[in-house]
Amino acid sequence: MGDSPIRILSVGTALPGPPVDTARLAECFGMDQLWRQWVDTFIGTRTRYLSVDLASGEVRHDLADLGESAATQALARSGISAEEIDVMVLGTATPDTLMPATVNVIADRLRIDGVPTFQLQSGCSGAVQAFDVASALLATGRHRTALVIGGDVIAKHYNVKADLSALPPSELVNYLLFGDGAGAAVLTAGDRPGAPVVRSVLTRLSGLDRRPGQTLRWYGLADRDSAEAPASEDYKAIEELVPVLAEEVAEELLDDLGWDRGEVDYLLPPQLSVTMTEKIAKRLDFPRATEISCVGDTGNNGNALLFFQLDRLLREMTMPSRAIAVAIESSKWIRSGLALERV
Amino acid sequence: MADVLSREEFVLLLQDEIGFDITADDLRLTFDELPEWDSVHLLTMLVLLERRVHRPLSLPDFLDAASLESIYEMVTR
Repeated sequence: MGDSPIRILSVGTALPGPPVDTARLAECFGMDQLWRQWVDTFIGTRTRYLSVDLASGEVRHDLADLGESAATQALARSGISAEEIDVMVLGTATPDTLMPATVNVIADRLRIDGVPTFQLQSGCSGAVQAFDVASALLATGRHRTALVIGGDVIAKHYNVKADLSALPPSELVNYLLFGDGAGAAVLTAGDRPGAPVVRSVLTRLSGLDRRPGQTLRWYGLADRDSAEAPASEDYKAIEELVPVLAEEVAEELLDDLGWDRGEVDYLLPPQLSVTMTEKIAKRLDFPRATEISCVGDTGNNGNALLFFQLDRLLREMTMPSRAIAVAIESSKWIRSGLALERV
Repeated sequence: MADVLSREEFVLLLQDEIGFDITADDLRLTFDELPEWDSVHLLTMLVLLERRVHRPLSLPDFLDAASLESIYEMVTR
């Protein structure tokens, strides 16, 4: 990082509606005990939050709603006003519209204007990518305070009338893994003793010669009747490759910083599902680190996940202490990570 | 009374409804010898089998099954 350390002042989060437990999800889709047992055994997610009302199919929140809520909370917690934000970055795989960019809709609602805004088309590494862009811009000295947002809303891909038993596995998993949510963080290049310092941000495209592990398609007037699945996952590739890439990220961060595994106090592992996260955290093997995970309660809400982990980290982080976060995007494969320290 | 499911019907279900390229002889292969097989296929198959045999099935009963043959035997027992 640059001479002036970048610090995280605050984090805010937003979830739509009440938590949807697996029994409710099963009931909605007319699935029985078998299905609930399978989710409990192989996914482990207890609840998720959905912008779509399961009973009516009505979409009640969009990404701008959730992003605005999360950002409002982050701003309130930081003691920074919206007028002081001089750069904004949003990461999402599911913008409300392709244009206008959702980041600008959120900015408008927050009364932020006249500053650079960026939106990244991103998956589970999106929060780290947004941190990377914001940190780099703050490090130039041209900006002082950044609002970073990440979130996803899968309502477009969530057909409450779907017959899940008729779906191919590559589409079925989408109904079981994912949820909606948004998070936001206020970063500053200013001096704020005690606020966690961003020691390293790492994002690496790792997709050479690799087929996408996840595909989200968008359609227009000419191709909206396409037979291709709008959302599909190669979950076997994900299961195989994400732990490997996560290990690479942890190694690279530790090497760069000269930290030993035993000097890390908090580990924020990738949040695919409870079972996958447990497996990856075990493999990463940080002997002293407290694991901070959220996916069991939030579901996999993509670009928002890291903010939910950071929200808890900021509440728990002792001083001095060190934290490592790892996130992997499985579409065209991006490995990413973040190292934070309170000193 | 549960419906009877023949071995041939079981193979057809795997082929046609799960899209699994398999023959009756392959039923005895262990899951380690069927690299395509995974837990999502297990769920899909059990949901279909439930409808076919008209009785509820319980996932934990099948988690230790070593092959499709043993699942077939458990379902038709």
